[in-house]
Amino acid sequence: MAKEIEISTSEAKFLIEALRQGLRSDSRKFEETRDVGIKFGKDYGDVTVTMGKTKVHCRISCNIAQPYEDRPFEGLFFISTETSPMAGPQFENGNNTGEDEVLCSRIIEKAVRRSGALDVEGLCIVAGSKCWAVRADVHFLNCDGGFIDVSCIAVMCGLLHFRKPDVTISGEQVTIHPVEEREPVPLGVLHVPICVTFSFFNPEDAEENIKGESNNEICLLDATLKEELLRDGTLTVTLNKNREVVQVSKAGGLPMDALTLMDCCHKAFKITETLTDQINEELKLDAESRNKYAALLSSENARVS
Amino acid sequence: MLFAQTGVLELVDGSCKLQCGETTVMCSVTGPIEPKARQELPAQLALEIVVRPCRGVPSTREKLLEDQVRGVVTPVLARYLYPRQLAQLCFQILESGEPEELYSSKELSACINAAFLALVDAGIGIQASFASVCLSILEDGQRLLVNPSQAELIESRSTHVLALQLAAGAKKVENLLLLESYGDFDEQTLLQVLQTGEEACVKTALELRKVIEQKLQKDFVWR
Amino acid sequence: MSKAVEVRPMTFYPEVLARIAPDLSMQRHLSLGLRPSLRASEEFRNVEISDGKLSCASKETVNRSGNNILGSNVLKCGKTMIVTSITGGVVEENVPVEQDDEEPALENSDADRASQFGCIYPVVEVECGRAGAPTDEEMTLSQRIYNCFLHSGLLSKEALKVSVGVKSTNADGQASIQYPDEKDSTDLAKSFKPRRKWTYVLYAKIQVFSRDGPLFELCWNSLIYALQTTQLPRAFVDERTTDLKIPVSMRGRSAAIRETFDILCDPVKFQPLKLNAENISFASNFAVIELDPEAQLPKDDDDMQVDSPTSVLLADIQGEAEEASVSSIVSVVTGTAGNMKHFKAIGGDSKITLDMIKKSIKLAKLRSSDLEGKS
Repeated sequence: MAKEIEISTSEAKFLIEALRQGLRSDSRKFEETRDVGIKFGKDYGDVTVTMGKTKVHCRISCNIAQPYEDRPFEGLFFISTETSPMAGPQFENGNNTGEDEVLCSRIIEKAVRRSGALDVEGLCIVAGSKCWAVRADVHFLNCDGGFIDVSCIAVMCGLLHFRKPDVTISGEQVTIHPVEEREPVPLGVLHVPICVTFSFFNPEDAEENIKGESNNEICLLDATLKEELLRDGTLTVTLNKNREVVQVSKAGGLPMDALTLMDCCHKAFKITETLTDQINEELKLDAESRNKYAALLSSENARVS
Repeated sequence: MLFAQTGVLELVDGSCKLQCGETTVMCSVTGPIEPKARQELPAQLALEIVVRPCRGVPSTREKLLEDQVRGVVTPVLARYLYPRQLAQLCFQILESGEPEELYSSKELSACINAAFLALVDAGIGIQASFASVCLSILEDGQRLLVNPSQAELIESRSTHVLALQLAAGAKKVENLLLLESYGDFDEQTLLQVLQTGEEACVKTALELRKVIEQKLQKDFVWR
Repeated sequence: MSKAVEVRPMTFYPEVLARIAPDLSMQRHLSLGLRPSLRASEEFRNVEISDGKLSCASKETVNRSGNNILGSNVLKCGKTMIVTSITGGVVEENVPVEQDDEEPALENSDADRASQFGCIYPVVEVECGRAGAPTDEEMTLSQRIYNCFLHSGLLSKEALKVSVGVKSTNADGQASIQYPDEKDSTDLAKSFKPRRKWTYVLYAKIQVFSRDGPLFELCWNSLIYALQTTQLPRAFVDERTTDLKIPVSMRGRSAAIRETFDILCDPVKFQPLKLNAENISFASNFAVIELDPEAQLPKDDDDMQVDSPTSVLLADIQGEAEEASVSSIVSVVTGTAGNMKHFKAIGGDSKITLDMIKKSIKLAKLRSSDLEGKS
């Protein structure tokens, strides 16, 4: 129960030795990420994201609430990342005070909510009295490392996919139109932050931590669970397609070369670009499958360009 | 009607994803493992049951679901085999398929069926197989529906969840594990529910057995 | 030469045996045709009820000022005492936009059954000398009562709608409150159509003292009695505050925010809560227990031929011995006419047969008419 997974010394030594020789247990290269799979559900805002064996389900929902008194023009947005024993017996139900769990939810919070990825002002219905409260529930199903990266993709896919019911406002009276009655409207997503996590290993003994000339730390992209257990330091950078750094998190661990940070950001940007394109592509495919007759029913005239 | 797949998760001993109509649940079983001191039972397997909702934080609604699943699973598990040990059953609702603030019947019946498959997948001893269906009676009081859709459910006069313990290759009904009914109904209707539900449970159990058959073929492919 | 060891059977007092071996104690009692509580198998405990006289509308209430209890009940059954108090509040509803003078569109079609019903929010507290987070039992009890109440249709949404009065001040500076449905109301109250709608929300706090067996049935019955005594206060808005707006501005944007809390409750005028009388129902529980042939007391030779039943149905579970040794429970919520609202059967180790279900429904009906006579 809520016991840390223990990795045997022989296995740990084997994995580190392999890394020193430039090999990873799943035959990936150091800077190679696992393929990301995005699957949308039947409902709007229901998405399952996989990366290797890691599997995360995210569900977006909304309801009408009262805005905070000091922010009458803004809607509410919550992200919940609670773990359960489903992802593995090392997680305890209802106890999310573990270091990793807190770190994960903090980074997601910073990357998505505090970076203003969702336009909360667009959630306002009647200033000061009614607004949409959007919540993203992230369910961890299977844990094989990279929870932060996958959760971030899942939340963003969910937000982009979600549609909220249309409302009509007349004075102070508000009508919510059921989905069957009126086409629901998408949320205002301002940018798509993508988290990329780097793991650092120090193959030499601890004294080498104080960096000198022989700086031979190993930097891995997208670590698996076993690699996460063995790593000495971690760095999560969040970027978007506009080449903006949204968030950088390096919470202790192995000290790293300052110049490596820039290098990591460059690497992360390439990943951000491909992932954003993939997300958009998947969303387009899903929209097409939902609306097979759109082209047929469109009343738009053919235009001469 | 019923789609299920076992062994979908890696880090637990048994798992299953089950879709029944509009409802989808994922169930994981870990055990027998070492319990916390307060959970330990001196002569039997202790159970920890967790139900997590599709949206929002777990509330009393999920606690009631946990209690109901516990009521069904406890008598069928061979609990004497694992004294001072613990089994964790964890359910994640992926698609509710019903208005969550008003109903929980479809989720309950899906959870019970998923628990059966996941327990088999985990290899924890059970004394009998079991299956569950959700039934509802439409407003006119005449039509009895097995596993109603969301639209049918909200029009219903009463809703029932039935779970039965089965024997002899899931063909014979051995005991009533759970019958929980809400709404407006009378004795006659209840007996009708039991009768129709019995047939539906047997049918469901046969489908569950097919899933287990596929699982065995997959698991023992090297033989 | 070994000395013969004399093995003497151990004997215990009944109370001790009930604690250390509830199963055996239970079986021994049953073989005598009795239960550990010394009741017959189909005998219920007596229930005493009284209007708690706690509500502010009650004539006998002691504390009238600052009292927000709208209905109450005290139920005693055996050792257990249950105090239910109903409190409430008023919330604003989302009103659909009306097109000109058309009737407002119906929010829910008639087919959607459960959404026509109002509900209450029960909180069960089992007092056992500890404070802190609610236990699992309290949570499941509260939720089960909530589910059962919602689907029973005892309360329609219509009954919770607030018919709003207007407080007006005349030229002499005297304030008066008028309600549209009262006979002597002036044109002002009749013509006043608020653009917003309010509904009552009801909360039920159910406190249990000295728990002695399953609680759902006792809590449910107490709640039904309490709701029958519930009086809702009339609510009004002040003439002057009906359209109060507060301007706000923030980061260059400004808007007028309407004051939300301008509805007040009348301290003297009350209306009884309208319940759907045909849906009033009462709960009773039953246990099914299999007779263990080995635990039976030896019988006289005369009785040997009699074929004794293999399992018995016990009404109204009470006490540690019964609760601990019983795993098959039937719980029925039914009206006197046999219109059931909730049925729950958990088959543990003993088999629940069709006959037993039928018998328990029959007994529950009798019990229900008995309990209804008390209110």
